[in-house]
Amino acid sequence: MNQPSLIGRPNRRDILQTISCGFGYLAFSGMAAAAAQQERKQAGGPLAPKQPHFQPRAKRVIFLCMRGGPSHVDTFDYKPNLTRDSGKSGKYRGALLGSPWKFAQHGDGGLWISELFPEVGRMADELCLLRGMNCDQPIHPRAMTQMHTGNAQFVRPSLGAWTLYGLGTENDSMPGFISLNPPAGAAQNYGSAFLPAVYQGTNIGRSGRVGSRFGGARGLGSPVPDIRNPRLNKTAQRQQLDFIQQLNAEKLRRDQQQPGVEGIIESYELAFRMQDTLPSLMDIRQESDETRALYGIDENPTDQFGRQCLLARRFVEAGVRFVELTHGSWDHHANLQQQLSNSCSQVDKPIAGLLEDLKRRDLLQDTLVIWAGEFGRTPDAQNGNGRDHNNKGYTSWMAGGGVKGGFSYGTTDEYGYEAVDGKCHIHDWHATILHLLGLDHQQLTYRYAGRDFRLTDVHGNVLTDIIG
Amino acid sequence: MTRLRIAAIGFVIGIATLLPATECKSQQVDSERRLSAAEGIEFFESKIRPVLVRECYGCHSKNSGKARGGLQLDTKMGALLGGDSGPAIVPGSLEDSPLWSAINYEDFSMPPSKQLSHDIIGDFAAWIEMGAPDPRGQEKIQANATVTAEDIKQGKQFWSFQKPTKPSVPDVQNGQWSEHPIDRFVLQKLEANDLEPAADADPHTLLRRLCFDLIGLPPTGEQIQWFLSQWHQDPDQAVVQAVDFLLDSERFGERWGRHWLDVARYAESSGKEINATFPHAWRYRDYVIDAFNQDKPYDQFVREQIAGDLLPVKTDEDWTENLIATGFLAIGPKTLTEQNPRQFSMDLIDEQIDVATRVVLGISVACARCHDHKFDPIPQSDYYAMAGIFMSTNTYYGTLDTQQNRRPSRLIELPIDDPNSFDRSLSESEIQQLKEQLEQKAAEFQELLQSRRQARRNPESQVNPQNLFRQVAVVRTQMAALESVLESYDEQGQPRSFCMGVQPADRPVNAHLLVRGEIDQPAQEISRGFVQVISGGPIKVRENSTGRLELARWMTSDQNPLTARVMVNRIWQHLLGQGIVETTENFGSTGQPPSHPALLDYLAVSFMESDWSIKSLIRQVATSRTYRMSSQFDAESFDVDPDNRWLWRASPRRLDAEVLRDAMLSISDQLTTERPRASNVAKGGETVVRNGNLRNTADLVLAGSMMARDDRRPMADANSDQMDRRRDFRRRAAARTGRPNVTAISLDPMTDYRSVYLPIVRDNIPRSLAVFDFAESSMVVGQRETSNTPDQGLYFMNNEFVIRQSDLFAQRLLDHSSQVSEQIEQAFLLAYGRPGTEREQAAARDFYDSFETGGNDEAAERLRCLCQAIMAAAEFRISN
Repeated sequence: MNQPSLIGRPNRRDILQTISCGFGYLAFSGMAAAAAQQERKQAGGPLAPKQPHFQPRAKRVIFLCMRGGPSHVDTFDYKPNLTRDSGKSGKYRGALLGSPWKFAQHGDGGLWISELFPEVGRMADELCLLRGMNCDQPIHPRAMTQMHTGNAQFVRPSLGAWTLYGLGTENDSMPGFISLNPPAGAAQNYGSAFLPAVYQGTNIGRSGRVGSRFGGARGLGSPVPDIRNPRLNKTAQRQQLDFIQQLNAEKLRRDQQQPGVEGIIESYELAFRMQDTLPSLMDIRQESDETRALYGIDENPTDQFGRQCLLARRFVEAGVRFVELTHGSWDHHANLQQQLSNSCSQVDKPIAGLLEDLKRRDLLQDTLVIWAGEFGRTPDAQNGNGRDHNNKGYTSWMAGGGVKGGFSYGTTDEYGYEAVDGKCHIHDWHATILHLLGLDHQQLTYRYAGRDFRLTDVHGNVLTDIIG
Repeated sequence: MTRLRIAAIGFVIGIATLLPATECKSQQVDSERRLSAAEGIEFFESKIRPVLVRECYGCHSKNSGKARGGLQLDTKMGALLGGDSGPAIVPGSLEDSPLWSAINYEDFSMPPSKQLSHDIIGDFAAWIEMGAPDPRGQEKIQANATVTAEDIKQGKQFWSFQKPTKPSVPDVQNGQWSEHPIDRFVLQKLEANDLEPAADADPHTLLRRLCFDLIGLPPTGEQIQWFLSQWHQDPDQAVVQAVDFLLDSERFGERWGRHWLDVARYAESSGKEINATFPHAWRYRDYVIDAFNQDKPYDQFVREQIAGDLLPVKTDEDWTENLIATGFLAIGPKTLTEQNPRQFSMDLIDEQIDVATRVVLGISVACARCHDHKFDPIPQSDYYAMAGIFMSTNTYYGTLDTQQNRRPSRLIELPIDDPNSFDRSLSESEIQQLKEQLEQKAAEFQELLQSRRQARRNPESQVNPQNLFRQVAVVRTQMAALESVLESYDEQGQPRSFCMGVQPADRPVNAHLLVRGEIDQPAQEISRGFVQVISGGPIKVRENSTGRLELARWMTSDQNPLTARVMVNRIWQHLLGQGIVETTENFGSTGQPPSHPALLDYLAVSFMESDWSIKSLIRQVATSRTYRMSSQFDAESFDVDPDNRWLWRASPRRLDAEVLRDAMLSISDQLTTERPRASNVAKGGETVVRNGNLRNTADLVLAGSMMARDDRRPMADANSDQMDRRRDFRRRAAARTGRPNVTAISLDPMTDYRSVYLPIVRDNIPRSLAVFDFAESSMVVGQRETSNTPDQGLYFMNNEFVIRQSDLFAQRLLDHSSQVSEQIEQAFLLAYGRPGTEREQAAARDFYDSFETGGNDEAAERLRCLCQAIMAAAEFRISN
């Protein structure tokens, strides 16, 4: 199958000009001055690229969402005192559990990273660790909701929706916000709430299908609803679409001024293009063996997440503004030693591969990669060999997109119970992400129910120290 | 009725009070035992506090961020308020203090890691018996308002808080245009802005507009013919007759009821993380549709929804209807995972206040939960005055009691039997079987609890606590499913009938103002009442009354400045495309001012004068000349008023999702107008939504396969081997009881019913609705979005339902005529309610002649693709 050409597609005007009757274009060129102004006002529609508030450091986001709450004290937050005092009584109750894994310094920045992430450790000089993370919610669903929307109590727009609302998108053949494999019941996490529906995430491959594989030969029957016509071939469908557009153009001519009809005309062309672009972008057979191997595709246990990471790169490369991937579950209440190491081995190579691939394509400098779970885990033991939820202090990281590499910001106390310095609440985290994208979190507002809403509500401080 | 829930965690939604009744008991403690206050505090500080910090704060404190079982022990208030099981400590009474039984490892085993020493337990006994002295956080908080009485007095001057009076109909220059009062108000504004009204729409366009607006369906060929012949005799009379015909149609309620369901955030599941179904929500849907069809006076309609349970009734039928109406307060989204019952209760109350005030009054009071309202003079105390009313109310919404569902509730059994059509009756042996299963499970549950207790007491035990925890969860869920099913039947195996709704609490209470809205920051008590700025004078709620009936009556009083205005504005918006006040839920100072204030008041007062008749109001507007204008573009007028605020033409409108789907069914002649009984969600009973499907809980239980695992656990780690074994297990379980596997119930069924009857499950909206901006069902939606997305393009090009309708539409055309030209003519007439234009017909003929499908049945496929294209084109989805 050929790579579809992403350039040189006919735009709306070309289409209207080439429609056999040829009346559509007249409607545009002959439009009244006010109407032209009206059109400029909404030029390109609500998804057209928009000017950020200031010079952005990142143009796009890949969010690696680690569902379940990965342990920070076993991965990115080195706690020698915890190891030293392992078995002693914890702060609240239970015995401290020293990490069973060894930590070592990595890269020029000398970041301490555990042996659970050997491959990501290799990329340490790209990482900016946020070791003072904290949020308000100690239970999964609500913490997940807060991580995505800032608010666990009410239905609010998601981070991706706000981003798309603020920046628009750059590929007119693809949705601007894609959530790959979101868990069931998480629609709110990629929803647009009161923002217009065009800003909501398109979910691809809902995880309901257990073991669904992306990008396989026949991996997923239909990742997006109605992406393929069951009866007509391409030529016939184009012919039918031309007739539809003729009727639309005729309506536009009669109505003289109708942004709604223009929107419909455009949406059909994008839909028609998406029918090619999306399946083709999702066909990772087009990638070289070397690239596939870099992500750990076709090997265990990295195949599944490797495919998602590779798809994420293909999407952002094609101009998709915000891509989210979900991996779970990291909820290790017991048997930490085996389960955490399983989880890490599934994502380590794919994530390192993603960072490396973005870097060698010169994409990492303006692509913000975020790695985060909804919270971390307790330094003391639960069920003897597990860890409980801990929202008071944990670690997330960012890479690329203008953040300092090989850098660590914030600390928890000597055991990792809670953030004590360089704290980054979820609101601060949101403010910082928007800032890197050139958006002022206080200015990015939407009026609903009589007041201006923002992602960070009345909170949020940008962590300027982490910006390179 | 009684609905038993698992005994350990029983609770009532409308929590009795924020200050525990137990405070007074502390004064009754035996004086002999009473130490001096200082000694009591000293005892607490030396013996009790260190133990609480060491053993309890890890899971029960603000600092640790945890409130296991809803309990926080780091403040006096927290300990007295308690958690899921009620107050943790009842000062002076060991017997009534769950904390006491927990540290003795009776009901609970706390702390779970190891039982406290004998001495420490003794200290707790002494402390509780001496009245549980506790110096922590005792200062009384008095929150001061920033909104003063003067602010409120001033605020009453705002236009929307003043009672509307009927203005006289204005004089206009161009008096011949229309005599109709509405037109005079509109024309006055047009003339003041140097604009002229557009010409009348042609009869085809007007009839199509009327049909979509009033009943949500396109006109049929016969209706078009009839209307044209009437129009030629007398256009005015033709419109009046058509409007009357449409208002009398049963389809009217299905269209206008849906508008109400949008603002009532109607849905059939809890949404959020668990998404448990509301299998009885459809009764509220049908109630709303019927109310519109009966032209129930709007004031009565509102009263029933706010306080139907408290209204006097003569018959059981009326009582039933009123109870169902209160579903309005119960169908909102719910955070069933909330651990803290008080937090849940306050969030539920907040949602009820928010919906009631924004929907009925068009103002947002919920802002004042955390602080005085910034813009309108609504102090926080007004919010808590209303909160007291809803706190004195119990809300019943059901939901399957799974391990993750921390907040299930009961349901209301209807006074008259009305089982839904999916409820089959059970045989006595089936009932018996279920009961036996339940007994068995209950015994199993007790055993598990026992071994868990033992495991905790004996740290050396070989039992894996994690496994035990899971087993407890599984058995609990199985018991809940069995109970849920058993409770749905009477002793004879006949299904019982339930609805969602509210009931007054036994004892009305006042709320305490919560500083910043935080539940552990209660300040002074606030008497139950309403929003002052829109009340005529001070309103007293009687001490033994919840105040909800008074609230409903106050809302619908003809003295209330907002209620009528807000509703006539909604009606105007649905007919003219935009409200006189564009912000339909916000008539406050941050909302848009009315474009035609005199017209708004004229309509509001007329509405009240005509006994709040919605049909009369619609009739009045739909027969005006304003409504009848053409939507023709005019460059000069557009220059002056691009947004058409002054109504110089009709605004073209994108059709709603339901209307589009129903229109396709209508022109393919497939629409079933008969109302389906209940809903697909009712088919599933109480269950949870998984992967866009439901399975009937009763069937699952009887098939012996009810949730053989904790289904909410993520499956990502399951390998295929495990999957196979699970499948095998279920197959064997089914084989054992001789029943087939339980089939999934689709939440996006391929049916020919009107769209209003499709299942509405939060986050699982049927595709045909979701793709065209269906109202977000967790929010009050007064105006829907009208987006143009590529997804809509994909839907019309490729969707199975669309293709099926185009097939049937083509078939209908083939039956109509064998001539291609006549088929094309008829296609445009049915789809667009008018003959195709010359260009359209020519383009269609070109397409038909040149189109090559490469398929077998060439002619049929050509016509089908033509039909699909006509439906896909912009004209089909826009009302001109």
